[in-house]
Amino acid sequence: MNLQWLKGLGALGVRLGKMVAVILLIAIFNFMLVRAAPGDPALVMAGQSGATDEAFLQRVRAEYGLDQPMPTQLATYLGKVVRLDLGYSHRQQRTVLSAILERLPATLLLTLSAFAISLVGGVVLGSLAGVRAGKLSDTLISLLALVIYATPVFWLGLMLVLLFSVQLGWLPAFGYQTIGVTMGTWAGVVDKLTHLALPAFTLGMLYLAIYARLMRSSIIEVSHQDYVKTARAKGASDGRILWRHMLRNALLPVVTMAGVQAGTLIGGSVVIETVFAWPGLGRLTYDAVLQRDYQVMLGVFLVLSVLVIFFNWLTDLLYRVIDPRIKAA
Amino acid sequence: MKKREFHKLLLAGGALGLAEFPLGLTQAFAQGTGGVKGGTLNSIIQPEPPILNLAVSQLTPTQTVSGKIFLSLLTYDVNLKPMPSLARSWTISPDGKTYTFNLEPKAKWHDGKPLTSEDVIYTAMEFLPLTHPRAKAIFGRCESITAPDAHTVVFKLKEPFGPFIGAFDISNLPVMPKHIYAGTDVVKNPANLNPIGSGPFKLKEWVRGSHIHLVRNDDYFKPGLPYLDAIIYRVVPDGASRALALENGTVQLTQWTDLELFDAQRLSKKPNLATTTKGYEYFAPIMWLEINNRTAPLNDKRFRKAVMHAIDRTFIKDKILYGFGKVATGPVNSKTKYYEPNVTKYDFSIAKAKALLDEMGLKPDAKGTRVTVRLPVSPYGEMVQRTCEYIRQSLAKVGIAVVLESTDPGSYTQRISNWDYELNLSWLYQFGDPALGVTRNYVSSNIRKILFTNTVGYTNPQVDKLADEAAVAVGDEKRQALYSEMQKIIVDEVPIAWLVEMEFPTIYDKRLQNLVTSAIGIHESFDTVYFKG
Amino acid sequence: MKAVVQSFLRHPSGMLGLVILLAVIVLAVTAPIFFPGDPWDTVAAPFTPPQTDGMLLGSDSLGRDIASGIAHGTRVSLMIGITSTLVALIIGVVVGALSGYVGGRVGEWLMRFTELFQTIPAFMLCILLVAILQPSIRNIVIAIALVSWPQVARLTRGEFLALKEREFVQAARCQGESPLSLIVRYILPNALSPIIVAGSLAIASAILIESALSFMGLGDPNLMSWGFMIGAARTMLRQAWWMSFFPGVAILLTVLAINLVGEGLNDVLNPRISRQ
Repeated sequence: MNLQWLKGLGALGVRLGKMVAVILLIAIFNFMLVRAAPGDPALVMAGQSGATDEAFLQRVRAEYGLDQPMPTQLATYLGKVVRLDLGYSHRQQRTVLSAILERLPATLLLTLSAFAISLVGGVVLGSLAGVRAGKLSDTLISLLALVIYATPVFWLGLMLVLLFSVQLGWLPAFGYQTIGVTMGTWAGVVDKLTHLALPAFTLGMLYLAIYARLMRSSIIEVSHQDYVKTARAKGASDGRILWRHMLRNALLPVVTMAGVQAGTLIGGSVVIETVFAWPGLGRLTYDAVLQRDYQVMLGVFLVLSVLVIFFNWLTDLLYRVIDPRIKAA
Repeated sequence: MKKREFHKLLLAGGALGLAEFPLGLTQAFAQGTGGVKGGTLNSIIQPEPPILNLAVSQLTPTQTVSGKIFLSLLTYDVNLKPMPSLARSWTISPDGKTYTFNLEPKAKWHDGKPLTSEDVIYTAMEFLPLTHPRAKAIFGRCESITAPDAHTVVFKLKEPFGPFIGAFDISNLPVMPKHIYAGTDVVKNPANLNPIGSGPFKLKEWVRGSHIHLVRNDDYFKPGLPYLDAIIYRVVPDGASRALALENGTVQLTQWTDLELFDAQRLSKKPNLATTTKGYEYFAPIMWLEINNRTAPLNDKRFRKAVMHAIDRTFIKDKILYGFGKVATGPVNSKTKYYEPNVTKYDFSIAKAKALLDEMGLKPDAKGTRVTVRLPVSPYGEMVQRTCEYIRQSLAKVGIAVVLESTDPGSYTQRISNWDYELNLSWLYQFGDPALGVTRNYVSSNIRKILFTNTVGYTNPQVDKLADEAAVAVGDEKRQALYSEMQKIIVDEVPIAWLVEMEFPTIYDKRLQNLVTSAIGIHESFDTVYFKG
Repeated sequence: MKAVVQSFLRHPSGMLGLVILLAVIVLAVTAPIFFPGDPWDTVAAPFTPPQTDGMLLGSDSLGRDIASGIAHGTRVSLMIGITSTLVALIIGVVVGALSGYVGGRVGEWLMRFTELFQTIPAFMLCILLVAILQPSIRNIVIAIALVSWPQVARLTRGEFLALKEREFVQAARCQGESPLSLIVRYILPNALSPIIVAGSLAIASAILIESALSFMGLGDPNLMSWGFMIGAARTMLRQAWWMSFFPGVAILLTVLAINLVGEGLNDVLNPRISRQ
C-alpha cells in the first residue's frame, strides 16, 4: 500500500519534471526567435515604441544584457522567466504578466466552454451515428461533421453572426458584455452567457465534428467486441449495452484525441477572439501583432503552451478515470 | 454666472482701470449662461491612451481625455482666433516681441494648490523641452519667460514670430503643476496615470480595457461650470461594436476615427444624432503620398507631376473616405491660415501622366512597367490599407509598379526616418499656421532622420527664404503674400503628392449643446457642454 | 497501382472529392482566361450586390470583382498549400525516417523533439513566426511547414519502426546494402501510402492556416487570397454579406474536396479489416 503511493508520487514527479522541461525549452525557443528576427533585438524587444526612444532602448539593452555573450543572455532571460518576469510592454505601459493575467480568465471561459460543448456534443452525436451506422441519421451526422471539418473557423463565426445577430437578432455579435450591465447580478450572468454562446459554439464546432467522427468509428469498433456480443446475446437492452459496456471503452480514443487537440483548440481561440472581439489572450495577441509588441506575443505564447501542457495532463487524468486498467506509466 | 454678478464684475473691471478687456471674456461668460447642470456624457476612446498626461504623450486619445483635465493659457475658435482659458486677458506689444498674459487668479490644481505663473514658466522652460517635439521650436524662440507676479507671465521673443499667439492651446502648452513634477523624472512620474490638472473635470477611476471615468471639479475657477456631472470614455476595441453603441444610445458621442467611415455615413442620417466635421480646424491634416526626392526617377519633378495626374483623388475622397474630406490642392489645408487656392492644378488624367513619363524617357518594358517602387504600408488601419491598394492600381496603369510592404509600427518608423522608401502614405497636423505645421516638411533645415520632418529631402532655397521671412513677418497681409508665393512654388514642384484634406465626423446626441466651440473641438475642456431636455 | 486506381474510382466520396478538386484546379489554371485583368482593379461601383451590373458575385468596398478575386485566389491557395506541404513532408520524412531507422535513444530523443513541436499551439506559432519575420509568402510557407511536419514525422517513424524488422529489409541488410540505400530503396517505398494520405490532408490544413493568417492581416499584401478577402470584408458584414460569404464557400469546397480525396486514398491504400 505504501509503496503504491510512493510510486504514484514518483510518477507524478517525473511527469512534472517533463512538463517543466518542455516549458523551459519553449522559453529557449522564444529567446532564439527574437534573435532570429531581422534587425536589432533591442528594437524587437522594445516593440513599436523603441524606434524613437533611445533612452528606452538603452535600458532594454542593459536589462537583457544584449551586449553580452549568448549563454549569459540566455541565462538572464531564463532567470527572468522563472521569476515570472515576462517583460514590459511599452505600448500598454505595464508588465506583460499583468496584461496576460487580466485576459486569462476570459480565454479560460471560452476554451473550457468550447471544450465541453465539443466533447459532449461530439460524444452524443458520434454515439448516435455509430449505433445507427448505415442509417439516415448516421449519414446526416457524418456529412455534417465532414462539412464542418472543412470549414474555416473564422468564416463560420462570421456566418453565424450574420444569421443569429444581424438577421435574427437573437444573440449579440461581439464583445464580452453589454456596456452598462452590472456584473454579479442575474441579468449580468444571462448577458455574459448570450455573449459567450456564439464564440464558444463556433470554436467548439470544429472539434465537435472531429470527436463525433472518432466516437462513431470507435463505437462501431467496440460493438464488434466479444463482450458486447455476449451482452446482447444475454438479452440486455440496447441502451444498457451502450451505457455500461460500450461507452467507457469507446470514449478512450476520443479523450486521447482531445488531449492532442488541446493545442489547436487554444490556438483556434486566437482567431475566434479576433472575430468576436472577445477580450481574452487571443485578442491580446491580435492587438500585439498589429503593434508588433513582441514581448506580449512571446509571453502569451509561453502561457498558452503552459495551458496546453495543463490540458494534456487533465485529459490524462480523465483517461485514467475512465479506464481503471491503466496504471501510472 | 448670474447676470447681476456679471455686471458687478464689469463695473469692478472698469473701476480698476484695466485697459484691455478682450472680447473673449464676455464671450466666455455669455456661454456660461443658460446651461442645465447635471448628466453624464458617455463617449468612446479609441485606442486606449497609454497615459493621461498630454505633455508627455501627444497621442490623439491622450489629448482627447487630457483636454478635460488640463488647461492651457488660451484656446481658439473655429476661425482660429484666440480665446481665453487659464489666461483671461493678454496683450501683444506693437513690435510683436512681448506677450503678456494675465492668469485667472482663482485657478487651482485638483489637489487644492493655486495655479500660478511659476507653473507656466516651469512647463514652458523645463518640462516640455524634455518631452514635447515642438516645444523647442516654439518656446526656444523666447529670449526670456518671466513672472512679474504670481498671476502674470511675460514671454519675450528674440524676434517677432507671427504664429506665436497660436501656440497656447493644450496640445502645445498644457500647464503642468510644478509642485508635482519639479525634481522628478517627468516621464515616470505616477501622476501621469493619476493626473492632477486644473481643468473642469478630474479623474475618478481608470479601469484599463474598460473605461476612463471623469467627474466634475467642484473647485473649477469658472463658477457654475462645468454643467456635466461626469464624462465616461469607454474602451471598445471593435469598430462594429462602437457603431452599435452609438446607435443604441449607450454612448452619446463619437469622434475622430472611432467609427468606420461607412458607419459614420450611415449613422449621420439618424434623426436623434447630429453630425459635424467642425472642430478639427486646428489639426486639418492632409493625407498625402510622400515621394522620396532623392532617388531617380523620383527626383525629376515630371515624375512627381505624373503621379499627381495618375491618381483619382475624388475617388479616394468618395469611395475610401466616404465623402469625409476635400480634394487637396497643395501643402496648406484650406482651413489653415494663409491658404492659397491659386496654384498649379493637377486634374486626374492618365494621358497627361503617361505623356510626362514618356517625355522623361522612361520606357515601359514588355510588361508595361517603367519603374518599380516600394510603398511601406503603415499599420494604422483599413483605410490606409485600401488607399495603398488603390494607389498601387492607379500607378500601375501608367507603368509605375508599386510593391506594397507590410510593416509594424517599429519598422515603419525606422524605414521612414531613415528615408528607406520610395513612396509613403501619411498625414500630419497643421496646427493652424503654416509656420507651425506646414513648413517643417519643406524647408531644407528640417531634413532630419526622424518622423514628421522633411523626410522626402526637398530643397529649394527660395522656399527656405520665404518660410523664414513669413515666420517672423508682422501683419496678416504680409504673411499671406509670402505664404502665397511659397505655395505656388511648392505646388509646381510637387515634392509630395497631396491627396485629400481629411475630415473627421463628430457624431453626437442632438440634445448635447456647446459641444464644438473651438478649432480643437472635442479636445476642449467641455466645461460648457450640457444636455438640453 | 492499377488496382489502386480502380478501387479509388469505385469509392463514392473519394470520387466526389476528386471531381470538385479537378474543378478547382481547372479554375486555377483558367483564371486569366475567364477573368482577364487584375483582380485588384476597380471595375464597378463599391458594394454592388451579386447578379447586378454584370458582377457575378458582387463587388467589394473598392469596387473590385469578387468572382475574379476568388478565381485568382485559387492559384494562391493551391500554391501555398502544395509548397508548404512539400517542405513539411521533406522535413517530416527525414526526421521520422532517422528516428525510426536508428531507433534507440537517438530515435527517442528525436521523437521527444517532435512531440515538443506538437505541444506548442500551432496557429499561435504561425502568427508569431510570420509577425516576427514579416509577412511575405516565403515566411508564410515556412511557418506552415514548421507546424505541419510533426504529424508526418510521427507517421514515418511508426512505419519505419515496423518495416525495418521485416524480412526483406533484413535480407537486404545481410546482403550489405548501405543504410541510406535501405531507407530509400527498400523501406520508404513501402511506407509511402500513409505518408501520401497525410500529405494530402496536410494540404487542406495548410490552406486553412493560410486563410486564417491572411484574415488576421498577416498575409502577403500583394497576393489576393481567399483569407485576405474575408478579412477585408469583416467590418462590412452588415452592408455586404457577399464579400465574406463566397470566398468562405470557396475555401470550404476546396478543403472538403481534398479531405474526401485523402480519405478515399486512405481507404484504398490502407484497408483495415475492422473498417465498416
